[in-house]
Amino acid sequence: MRRYETLFIVTPDSSEEELKAVADKFQGVVTGMDGKVASYDEQGKKSLAYNVKKQSKGYYVLMDYLAQAEVVAELERNMRLDDRILKYLTVKLADDVDPASVEAVKPKPKKEAEKTEVAEEEAQSPEAQESEEEETEEETEEE
Amino acid sequence: MAYRRRRRSFPRRKVCRFCADSNVKIDYKDPKLLKYFITERGKIIPRRISGNCARHQREITMAIKRARHIALMPYTTIQPH
Repeated sequence: MRRYETLFIVTPDSSEEELKAVADKFQGVVTGMDGKVASYDEQGKKSLAYNVKKQSKGYYVLMDYLAQAEVVAELERNMRLDDRILKYLTVKLADDVDPASVEAVKPKPKKEAEKTEVAEEEAQSPEAQESEEEETEEETEEE
Repeated sequence: MAYRRRRRSFPRRKVCRFCADSNVKIDYKDPKLLKYFITERGKIIPRRISGNCARHQREITMAIKRARHIALMPYTTIQPH
């Protein structure tokens, strides 16, 4: 199983019930295909950096889940067809995750519980620092 | 002398802030942080200016491009009508 997160924008004129329907629908897609939703976080209404489908605002929703690759294809297909979804973005967080290690979400989650768990390792490569020396000259010439 | 002074006036070397502080995570969902690495017009600031190391500049670039896609950050500030 792989761990993915999908961030999507729901149209701003949707009501509470519609948001709930969207939540049920897409969580259903994941769980219906043996996936596991780790968190479902409605981040609220935010203004968009540019207009999408003539809308300047939207509800951002972040869904974190474990699933096979086909589930992502199916989920995105559903999002494309759904008029309430303005845009979506899926990012793979980790390969080969043990489904038992992640707890499935309750019907109505409060806040994202664990998200930083799958964090990128922080390590500085030595070459990067060496090359910085040469750059200094470049900058001088510009000024 | 004056000429030499000018040539030698190198600005203080900026240190990559992500190497200096490993607590800061680069995330496309965090436009507040990423905003620091774009110009007012929305272009990504080159690492020659920003002072990031190659690795972190790459991560920043990736994050900015993702953020743009999901409308958290602008592609450009000139809005088409």
